[in-house]
Amino acid sequence: MKSAPLVVVIQFPGSNCEYETSRAVQNSGMDSCIYRWNQWQELKDSLPDAYVLPGGFSFQDRVRAGAVAAKEKIMDLVFSEAAGGKPVLGICNGAQILVESGMVPGWERGRIESALAANHISGRSGYLSRWIFLHVAAKARKICPWLGRTGTGILPLPIAHAEGRFVFSEENRYRASNSAALKYCDEKGTETSDYPANPNGSFLNLAGIMNDRGNVLAMMPHPERAYWLWQLPPYLPGEWGDRRDQSLHSGSYASTKGPGSLFFTSLADYFRGER
Amino acid sequence: MNLRDELKEAIRHRSLAMTIEEAEKLAGYVGRMPTPLELHLFDTMWSEHCSYKSSRSVLKLLPTHATGVVVGPGEDAGIVKFTDHDGFSWDLVVAHESHNHPSQVLPVEGAATGIGGIVRDVYCMGARVTGSLDLLRFGDPLGNSGEKSRAICRGVVEGIWKYGNALGVPNLGGDTRFHKGYDDNCLVNVVALGFVRHDRIVHSFVPVEAHEEQYVLILVGKPTDDTGFGGATFASTDLEDESEKGAVQVADPFLKRVLSEANLNVLDYLFDREIKFGFKDLGAGGIACVTSELAAHGNLGIKVNLDLVPVSIPELPSEVIACAETQERYGLAVPRRISAEVLEIYNEKYEMPRLFPGAGATVIGTFTAEPFYRVLHRGEEVANTPIEYITEGIVYKRNWEPSPVPVIEPDSRPCNPPLDLKRMLLSIDGVSRSPVWSYYDSEVQGNTHFRPGEADACVIVPIPGCRAGLSVSGDGNPWIGELDPFLAGAHAVGEAVRNVVATGATPIAATDCLNYGNPEKADVFWQFRRGVEGIAAACMDLGLESEDPLPIVSGNVSFYNQSSKGGSIPPSPIVAVFGRINDFTKSTDISLKAPGNLIIMAGDRKDELGGSLYYRTCIGHRGGRVPAFRGKLEREMARFVLECCEAGISRAVHDISEGGMILAAAEMAIASRPDARRGIVFDTEAMDPVVLYSETPGYLIEMSQESWDAIENKPEFLSVAGRVTDEFCIAASRWRMDLREILEDHANRLDRIIWREEVTE
Repeated sequence: MKSAPLVVVIQFPGSNCEYETSRAVQNSGMDSCIYRWNQWQELKDSLPDAYVLPGGFSFQDRVRAGAVAAKEKIMDLVFSEAAGGKPVLGICNGAQILVESGMVPGWERGRIESALAANHISGRSGYLSRWIFLHVAAKARKICPWLGRTGTGILPLPIAHAEGRFVFSEENRYRASNSAALKYCDEKGTETSDYPANPNGSFLNLAGIMNDRGNVLAMMPHPERAYWLWQLPPYLPGEWGDRRDQSLHSGSYASTKGPGSLFFTSLADYFRGER
Repeated sequence: MNLRDELKEAIRHRSLAMTIEEAEKLAGYVGRMPTPLELHLFDTMWSEHCSYKSSRSVLKLLPTHATGVVVGPGEDAGIVKFTDHDGFSWDLVVAHESHNHPSQVLPVEGAATGIGGIVRDVYCMGARVTGSLDLLRFGDPLGNSGEKSRAICRGVVEGIWKYGNALGVPNLGGDTRFHKGYDDNCLVNVVALGFVRHDRIVHSFVPVEAHEEQYVLILVGKPTDDTGFGGATFASTDLEDESEKGAVQVADPFLKRVLSEANLNVLDYLFDREIKFGFKDLGAGGIACVTSELAAHGNLGIKVNLDLVPVSIPELPSEVIACAETQERYGLAVPRRISAEVLEIYNEKYEMPRLFPGAGATVIGTFTAEPFYRVLHRGEEVANTPIEYITEGIVYKRNWEPSPVPVIEPDSRPCNPPLDLKRMLLSIDGVSRSPVWSYYDSEVQGNTHFRPGEADACVIVPIPGCRAGLSVSGDGNPWIGELDPFLAGAHAVGEAVRNVVATGATPIAATDCLNYGNPEKADVFWQFRRGVEGIAAACMDLGLESEDPLPIVSGNVSFYNQSSKGGSIPPSPIVAVFGRINDFTKSTDISLKAPGNLIIMAGDRKDELGGSLYYRTCIGHRGGRVPAFRGKLEREMARFVLECCEAGISRAVHDISEGGMILAAAEMAIASRPDARRGIVFDTEAMDPVVLYSETPGYLIEMSQESWDAIENKPEFLSVAGRVTDEFCIAASRWRMDLREILEDHANRLDRIIWREEVTE
């Protein structure tokens, strides 16, 4: 019997966040290993407990971000594992792959209901790197294995993308709001569609969406880049800014976990509860 | 036609940069009319860009040796010892280049390939690349050529984010400056840094084992095309018109990322089996340079078969296949017996041919005991030359003639602190650079502690589990450059050192990129010489780690930066400094923390406002008296700042540079938390531009009264300048400036001018 759950990180050609994402898993008390896109058999044989699709630019974002990777054979495996209930997390480009594969929102098998379109808001377009604030939908906290420990507070996380605007058709507004997992808000927790609280013009201020069962989560912000408090910017307002400032001279600054760790420790807790 | 006429005709017809004398020298080496391939190969090797033929004698002035230097200038990148961790010794690998002309002509592609080239230089030493910086100089965005300057700025930033972000290398800032002297010739300097285990450093020559065993040359990466043909020559001549776009390469960060992963896998494979090898990236001169240099520096010859080179365009002439600068390629010298395994990693494991049509790894040559460079193509020998001549290089003695700028100071210096501060904060040089940084990914790899703008230098924690932090800053002030070329060099080092020291890191190495006009002009060559002397002088004083100077371990010279009308750019020595902080948790940012704390100033203010932001923006005069470089004082101040940091008593540190003490204070306030705004009240009652605006080097340090009182034997250069308040203001007893008035403009003005084209004021 395995001592710790195994969370695999899949490296697509063009991925570039696989190493730090894998470290975030390991730092949360789980095993992690990175498999290349063409190591389908090795991946399957390793009997993973959960999957992470990391950030980057898989297949050069050809066609659309995530579109080509979604058609890779290895995604068939992820698809069937997700259907069996295994937790799957897509971060940034990984989220784009999950959307392009139809795994989120996953209302109907194999059907693509959403898109991650080019950022466009308040006259600014192109790539945007900045720290945003989000809160976790109450339903998502209950059913999503990646979100169980995220709490009701506001989480600061960094985004870094050019195509992160969740798009749904207007007639699916209600359904989409049911699939909402993470929503952008301002530093005080108020939801607004204004820039920069909503950094890319995302529909319903969506920062992350999930499938109905909650085991598949696609999120644009990067939790692995906010795993430790020391990764947070000095100007960050609010509760997490306070925590950072307090730990600065406490001697534990290097080893105190930040808001991004909650996504990974939630999963570790989920596995502990399940076993 | 006699040989001389035939050579002249070849130079003209092939648009070569070499002189007829150089061509004759080449003909003498080969004993006949050189082949087209030989002409282009030597044209590249003898270009200013590759040969440093004008600059080499002057560059000898730079200190390059110090304790800790592992590889100095000469290979693709410099290496210094960084830290020990977990039983391994880790070294820092750094490289610094310019990509000025390509970026002026094709800003997006030029800037992208600038990063592409510099990261290859670091990768090919066996390192993982963990950061890059861009030092950008554009024309005046609000001047006569404003529209063009703005478009170039937008294009360069786009090239940087499109390439750098995709590559997965965090952008660690740099700087962006505007000056009308760059209207026709922008500067795009790029720095890359990485880390390598000391026992896994890779060298760019075929190993000595190749004298005993058959070694082959593997070419890996993108299929060869005709892009960048003549690129090094292009970089070494006047930018006469913008029709030379063919000399700009086309970058592919996606392929580079996969290639980098595959390379690391191959390097590990070879090291694990204790197989000796040579590895070098393809840059200037393409296949011809990489094959000849790998062989020549290992004292061997090589036979290359161009028929084996994968190409993406059919029927290319031999000299184009051999000398084109197609991006994303490397050359690897390995024993023939394991070449199949290496090819398999690239072509099967990482599926390069599937991911990119025609990409992959191929054996294209064999190393030979005979010291000749031979190239075969379509059954013919298209090059055959003694190999030592290729790397022998060429040196010119250039004339120089002093051309100092007369010192002219303004007649009157009105002083209205709130208004002056507002003008400086909202000037094109004073506004926040965050609109630029917002396009860059500064956090990929998960090691970033301070992003651009948060502290005086970016700080990363590059080795997981190890507390050693790397701090890096790049600087160079064109306003000083145009007034005093010596001080431009000295202050470029001084400013970068201060920035690194302000974060709490001890400088361990520096790199330079020397950007000037035409070296054949005596006044320009004097500017260049003075700049190098300035850098050398500052480095001699600012070696803080030991008694050795701060070593320059890598760099680049970029000449011929001028407009078609012949005007040179301001002398632009640009220096990057790299520092180490043993415990990154002690590093300091610039944001004000606690009301009541003191603001300590290091460095008395002097009447030397030449080139200052105050002169330029508040009284429209450039002045003449530039801050002196006081090496010993700089060193003592740096030591003090480092001691405060080590003792954990400094809460925020910011160096005093452009805009003087008052602007430094405002920047510290603007960096404070939006939900805990802070400001500074100065003690001085003087309404004196020297006190408030002088750019005499120094530091502002926030610390508590108790910490200040506890410092014994306070050095003379220290004084209490003021204290931190909980009001978002910069003030003194007789004046006060509310920063809320300008906060939004300060943050967004650059975006409005450059990206939104809101230029009518």
